[in-house]
Amino acid sequence: MASIILFSPFAASAGIIVHPGVEGRSISTVSLRNIYTLRQTLWPNRQPIVIFVLPDDHPVHEAFAKEKLGLYPYRLRQTWDRLSFSGMASAPVEVKDENEMRARVRATPGAIGYTSKDTGHDGIKILRLE
Amino acid sequence: MTASRFSGWNKLLLGGLLTASSAWADAPADSRYHIQGFAAQGLIGSTNNQFFGDSRDTVSTDFTEAGLHGSWQPLDALRLSGQVLYRRAGESDRDGVRLDYAQADWRFYQTDVTRLGLKLGKVKLPYGLYNETRDVPFTRPGILLPQSVYVDNSRDLLLAAPGVFLHGASAQKYGATDFLLGWVRPDFDSESVDYSFLGNVRSGKLKGKGTLGARLRWDTPTDTTLMLTYADARADYAPGSVDALAAGSMRFRNLLATVQQRFDTVTLTAEYGEPRLDLRGFGALPDTHRTIQAAYLQGEWRFHPAWELMLRHDLFYRDKNDKNGRQFQAATGLPAHGMFVRDWTLGLRWDATPSLMLRAEYHRVDGTGWLPGPDNPDFLGREQRWNMWLLQAAYRF
Repeated sequence: MASIILFSPFAASAGIIVHPGVEGRSISTVSLRNIYTLRQTLWPNRQPIVIFVLPDDHPVHEAFAKEKLGLYPYRLRQTWDRLSFSGMASAPVEVKDENEMRARVRATPGAIGYTSKDTGHDGIKILRLE
Repeated sequence: MTASRFSGWNKLLLGGLLTASSAWADAPADSRYHIQGFAAQGLIGSTNNQFFGDSRDTVSTDFTEAGLHGSWQPLDALRLSGQVLYRRAGESDRDGVRLDYAQADWRFYQTDVTRLGLKLGKVKLPYGLYNETRDVPFTRPGILLPQSVYVDNSRDLLLAAPGVFLHGASAQKYGATDFLLGWVRPDFDSESVDYSFLGNVRSGKLKGKGTLGARLRWDTPTDTTLMLTYADARADYAPGSVDALAAGSMRFRNLLATVQQRFDTVTLTAEYGEPRLDLRGFGALPDTHRTIQAAYLQGEWRFHPAWELMLRHDLFYRDKNDKNGRQFQAATGLPAHGMFVRDWTLGLRWDATPSLMLRAEYHRVDGTGWLPGPDNPDFLGREQRWNMWLLQAAYRF
């Protein structure tokens, strides 16, 4: 999305992290967007996906939403609200900062989340975006 | 819905929900359960007519919404969810706290890209883009939904009803599709519904019969949403002890088309429907077969991450073949402007924090076709041209 530049003063490129039990080394943009818009709720091996997010106004969340999903945070929130308040899906689990993000993804089977850097941490797997 | 009718079904479901919620407290803090809620207060001022309370030439504080929503996934394939709602909207809604919905959703077939499920209970009714979360202020495009399509006058019919829906979804290269197909028994028995369909409050009762509901939705890879909603509802009238009306029956059918295109920070939305209303055998009320026309065009512009402007033109004709209401006036002696509404709306939204939203909205209205009856009981006292402003503060947790 071209005019993402309009809103984005953040240069940090978000990395996609998953629980080490999640299969595969990469994920497609379409699949990532389907997961974060709550359309895809299972991994290809049918394990349930547990989605973690930072608060709507967190710079890393803003960068992730715009750069990786091509969606503004407000559009994501609208999608989550419509699906969760109507009982059709659960909104992602919100964590307060990147430390909690890493800890929850490490501890939760099927988890997906993101951090500000593509650097590795013990017990967390990084997925390449294709 | 009156207090006496907050019984049976509702009590049972509410009881179940509360029992379940006390069990959640012991569950580990993971993603299997979720509780969220909201509270909102509005201020309304208007000229010439009343809207949600005493708003004419003064300020009504009679528009309050609050909700507590819970969902629990005891199994991967089973989701229980429900919402308790408090709503006050002038004389039109004085029911206070009620169970909005309580449903069980069983996903009996699931892969990473497709699913099929069955939801049952007091289920949320699919209708257009906004109906399922119409009482959650954050999910609406404005303080009020476009009244042509989402008529607050008939909201009891559209909210939720005991029944069952088969649903499915698929995410593929050509986009995401989903469908709902179901059978419900909607609630026709309210003063506002009497006003909309029978012209006034009636002493008897409209009893809903089986209603077919279906919705097809396609979200294309180009950020376009296309949707069709169909409903076919029937109700029988049981006259009161002293009643001018006979035991008639009514049928209400509607096919609603939705188009939404999302560009970068701009969202354009249009919905169009031609609901058909048939009344038969009501005695004093002549047999009626009319086609209503309801449509709006709306633009939303997120000009700053926390600010949004909305402009909408909303059209409502109670009879497609008598848009200006002259035939109606000649036949009944009632004002012609009760048969139509043309409404220009300008709205501003500010998400002050992720949990606090403030909104302002201005309506320039020509016609009284969807003016809330209980707030304006004197037909002859209603005026054709009126304006309205609204402010709303909404908090979520």
